[in-house]
Amino acid sequence: MPRKRDDGPEIEIDRTIHEPARLLITAHLYVVESADYVFLMQNTGLTWGNLSSHLSKLEAAGYVEITKEFVERKPHTMVHLTDEGRTAFDAYRRQMKALFDDLPG
Amino acid sequence: MASPSLKELERRVWLRTFEHGLWDVAIGLLLLSFGVGILTEFYWLSAIVVPVGLPAMRDLARRAIVPRIGQATFRGRRKRSIVRVQLILGVLAIAGLGMFAFTGMATRDAAPEWMASIRAHFVIVIGLIWGGALAVAGWAVDLPRLYAYGALLLGALIGVDLASSGYHLGHALAAVGGLITLVGIGLFVRFLRRYPRRVDPVEADTDA
Repeated sequence: MPRKRDDGPEIEIDRTIHEPARLLITAHLYVVESADYVFLMQNTGLTWGNLSSHLSKLEAAGYVEITKEFVERKPHTMVHLTDEGRTAFDAYRRQMKALFDDLPG
Repeated sequence: MASPSLKELERRVWLRTFEHGLWDVAIGLLLLSFGVGILTEFYWLSAIVVPVGLPAMRDLARRAIVPRIGQATFRGRRKRSIVRVQLILGVLAIAGLGMFAFTGMATRDAAPEWMASIRAHFVIVIGLIWGGALAVAGWAVDLPRLYAYGALLLGALIGVDLASSGYHLGHALAAVGGLITLVGIGLFVRFLRRYPRRVDPVEADTDA
């Protein structure tokens, strides 16, 4: 349930996930185990620069882990949601659902 | 603008990994090789196609598909479905081979009548086994066009059973295999047109 703070906003939203591009990225990472950059670009419609920038923010929050590996001597980057990221996304979903479900008609 | 649920999103992403048509080409070529092998009496053709064709197909997938739609590994149900398909196909392959062994036994003079009557409709049993395998694989990986391939194969083999002469197992397998291969090639061409080649940014930085 949304937490009420004494001196802050009524609803506390995880802004790291709430931003539209990052929400798209986390939603796609949530439904797979791991994915590479090309997969995320293809499915989210983000450019390399945008994707990198948003992934860095998610990584800084501890929500994703970026692994660089070599496949046939070529670098390849895989990304996956950490347990913390998965828990945060679950919490965000519940929070949004509760928020809109509670809205009077 | 479409706003799919997470469940729909997962299915869409999963099905995209089958959009390239190379699986269809592999299935089609396998059936085609069985058919051509029977027609030319070169029965080992499929035994050559599998070890040569599958690695070539895997290499083509790595070069043509991954740079276009990227790569993802799936969780839970999808991961299990791949294992399930492998198990089902393994069991059905053994069942198919068992059917050939059964046919050999049924041709003996001392074979009971029921064996001979099953042998008389051998192609239908093969159709049920292989067509069933395709349908079960379609169910397990959530890919409806495999149902159509299974039904097509079964229908073609029932046709062989009903036809009096001039149309036999080799023709049916070659025709169905050829058709599935053509569908696969069509899907692959559409895939190449739809998805331009992209490069992993890290790889691009290294190449620069």
